[in-house]
Amino acid sequence: MSSPVTHHAVHAAPKGFLRRYIFSTDHKVIGKQYYLLALFSVFVGMLLSVLMRYHMIYPDAKVSWFEKLWPTGAAGGIMTPELYLSLMTMHGTIMVFFVLTTAPQSGFGNYFLPLQIGAEDMAFPVINMLSFWTTFAALVVLLAAFFVPGGAPLSGWTAYPPLSAVGEIAGPGQGTGQTLWILSIALFCAASLMGAINFIATTIDLRAKGMTLMRMPLTCWAWFVTAILSLLGFAVLLAAGILLLLDRTAGTSFFLPAGLVVNDQILNHKGGSPLLWQHLFWFFGHPEVYIAILPGMGLTSTVLSVFARKPIFGYRAMVYAILAIGFLGFLVWGHHMFVSGMNPYTGIAFSVLTMAIGVPSAIKTFNWIGTLWGARIRFTTPMLFALGFVSLFVTGGISGIFLGQPALDLYLHDTYFVVGHFHMIMGVAAIFGIFAGTYYWFPKMYGRMMNETLGKIHFYLTFIGVYAIFTPMHFVGVAGNPRRYPNFKEFEFLGELLPVHTFMTHAAFFTAAAQLIFLFNFFWSMKKGAKAPVNPWEATTLEWTVPSPPPHDNFGGRLPEVYRGAYEYSVPGAEKDYLMQNEPAVAVKE
Amino acid sequence: MQAHSEQAIAVTAKTFVWVWVALLAMTVVEVLLAYFHVPLLLMLTALMGLSVIKGALIIAYFMHLKFERFSLFLTLFPMLIFCILLLFIFMPDSFRLMELRPR
Amino acid sequence: MAEARSETLVPASAWGGGASPFAMNSKKLGMWLFIISDALTFSALLVAYTYLRLATPNWPTPFHFSPSILFASLMTFVLLSSSLTMVMGVHAMNHGHRRRAVGWILATMAGGAAFVILHATEWRHLIVDEGVTPFSNPWNEPLFGATFFALTGLHMTHVIVGVLYLGVIAIGVGRGKFKPEDVEVSGLYWHFVDLVWMFIFPLVYLMSVHI
Ligand code: HEM
Ligand SMILES: [Cu+2]
Repeated sequence: MSSPVTHHAVHAAPKGFLRRYIFSTDHKVIGKQYYLLALFSVFVGMLLSVLMRYHMIYPDAKVSWFEKLWPTGAAGGIMTPELYLSLMTMHGTIMVFFVLTTAPQSGFGNYFLPLQIGAEDMAFPVINMLSFWTTFAALVVLLAAFFVPGGAPLSGWTAYPPLSAVGEIAGPGQGTGQTLWILSIALFCAASLMGAINFIATTIDLRAKGMTLMRMPLTCWAWFVTAILSLLGFAVLLAAGILLLLDRTAGTSFFLPAGLVVNDQILNHKGGSPLLWQHLFWFFGHPEVYIAILPGMGLTSTVLSVFARKPIFGYRAMVYAILAIGFLGFLVWGHHMFVSGMNPYTGIAFSVLTMAIGVPSAIKTFNWIGTLWGARIRFTTPMLFALGFVSLFVTGGISGIFLGQPALDLYLHDTYFVVGHFHMIMGVAAIFGIFAGTYYWFPKMYGRMMNETLGKIHFYLTFIGVYAIFTPMHFVGVAGNPRRYPNFKEFEFLGELLPVHTFMTHAAFFTAAAQLIFLFNFFWSMKKGAKAPVNPWEATTLEWTVPSPPPHDNFGGRLPEVYRGAYEYSVPGAEKDYLMQNEPAVAVKE
Repeated sequence: MQAHSEQAIAVTAKTFVWVWVALLAMTVVEVLLAYFHVPLLLMLTALMGLSVIKGALIIAYFMHLKFERFSLFLTLFPMLIFCILLLFIFMPDSFRLMELRPR
Repeated sequence: MAEARSETLVPASAWGGGASPFAMNSKKLGMWLFIISDALTFSALLVAYTYLRLATPNWPTPFHFSPSILFASLMTFVLLSSSLTMVMGVHAMNHGHRRRAVGWILATMAGGAAFVILHATEWRHLIVDEGVTPFSNPWNEPLFGATFFALTGLHMTHVIVGVLYLGVIAIGVGRGKFKPEDVEVSGLYWHFVDLVWMFIFPLVYLMSVHI
């Protein structure tokens, strides 16, 4: 221990409410803060989505409280198309950044990475705190867009110029609202960068004795690779954001070509290229979708193994698949741009590489199935959600293969098919990962068990619900329904789709309502749930060797030693059917 | 840590001064180069080549990377260089944009 | 299955824990990671500049030797020299000469400040005398000013932040608070700022020389 790495001396729990719960540097408190921020965000986002679905089938409905909330956007209680678009933009942005990026990586990762690798805290506790509060500021700035004149921006979570770059002239929310959006994303970039540095340094430096890389739980691998993706991806998004901000505030023309006419006005710009934004954005954007899904993959691997009581099938293959996905994830951004006017030769290369990413994805899927094969599965709630994750991942992956063909994408691009695809795979699959993580780790985080019966009801309703919402979207998309259109009924050829849309809207209301069960279960169990033992699921990783919830310094001042990999289940000859990672070597009977 | 301080001693202040002189010399060459009438592409290549060498010197000596473990280099730089190269996939579209401009 | 289990018998000595695989403290690794990320941000901006410039038929090349190129060369000289003083500061600190280290760091800050002053003068000249702004210029290629100010502006922000950062380090070292590794980490940042300029200078200035 002569090394300088141990500079983060064992710290006693700070006294005082502020230092302890608000500006805490304890990774566990920060993890919970991130999680609760994401929980708040997901409900805001869900509310917005339900409003959008409502507008979709009743575009002319008069709702008096719409007008109270949005006096201009819904004058007379009727939602304007612009308001619809602003709800959509905020929904997408909140969900992608503040839920899918925040909860699985910053929330669970912060809480459990140090515990799982046997460390007392993250490598840089203060930076960790700063990164949470920067994320918080980013959320506040984003939500502030609702309350400024003109309201929230309209240009979607991808903020394509020219719409996003020309300012107020392009629509009500494109003034201050869009500027706030960019500021929020820039703050989020900074926070993610701080987080990524912390995760990488922690994983490299702070592993306990015996925790070799190839003994790390797959969750840690996933967080590690995700952190690398964040480190590189957000760097490019930051550059793009700076340029877009300059276009809006300093009158530059990075993304604005000459001769633009917006609302009958010729704009005084010259030389820029909207395509440049698309390149920069998707250079970040595709890695971003893996930032959202990789932690869920890691968690699913662990949960499947725990509740199938079998070692994960092909641990090494799983690790290499995560690495391969991380690597290939940087090579495919152009599949979002097949119809953007990008060079078609580049398009073909992107198409081939996109197909290639199916290989590591398939490796993961087959290994999950291999893990389940012949197992005596314990169908607990976390297990059900992990199984749901696999199901949704496969469904969404298959539609991805369709979209990866330029010829097909020519037709499918910007239709509801894409909406179906990414909700299945990025939206709901990642959310299922978060749910699995919540049910799995809640006992450790709050010291109490969540209610299993409510959990199972929540699972079945949600599982059926999301398939009911998002499967029809594929068909509607194939039928030609464009995405980001507030009123499809205006188009005669889409009129027949009304019943399908009505069905999806009802399913959305139903599924949203089912989430209240989760919310109730979460807060009720926090207070009233059965006391959780140290290791309720009989899992092997290190977080289950410490009390629930863990003490301030995690391992009580003595760091654990690790003797084995993370998936030692059904060990023949062992007294229990599993071996904890910190159990010393035992002679195994053949 | 011990290995690290041993090497730190091996590098003397003199080395740093020499690196500095080399960097300045290359800068002078770059500035002179700018005043020769060479084709654009050649000029760009020469300038970037010199800049990469300068950057490498700064990283290796001033930033001490030469004296760190090689694994650090392998962890950090391949991913950076790889990403930078990927960014050049944008360029075919730049040329197309040029072709498509009204003349 | 048998192999899988024999793997579990590998003794814990496989990884000792508590030491960085890179034999460096976490702070330094953290700074390196930041530098990688920031380098990619700058690269993306430079690539955006290249992209836009390549697509523009008559990109202006207006920089006269005096003052622009002269100033920019001088700035390069100042920045390179401040890197030398910085490395000397780290060197002194590693050998336990605190006072000397503070002197070198102050010299580095002076270099940084000189860079900023020279750069500001050069900006003023371009804006006031030549009429170059982020949105317009006499050559009717607005992107010339846009890319120029975006790139040099972001770099100048980094220099200013660096001078402040070094100020904190200098005070801390003077009071006997910071360790040699803290100085080294700040040095990494400073050299990185220098490094970025090694690319901005030729791409922004030398490629736009008026001949
Ligand atoms: C085999 C795997 C995959 C393939 C082949 C694939 C392919 C594609 C393609 C080609 C598009 C563009 C469609 C268009 O805009 O016309 C797309 C969109 C999208 N994909 Fe995937 N994808 C895959 C996996 C994933 C994963 C794992 C995620 C997230 C976790 C994801 C999230 C998204 C999102 C969010 C969009 C829409 C972005 C937008 O326009 O707003 N995809 N996918
Ligand atoms: Cu993609």
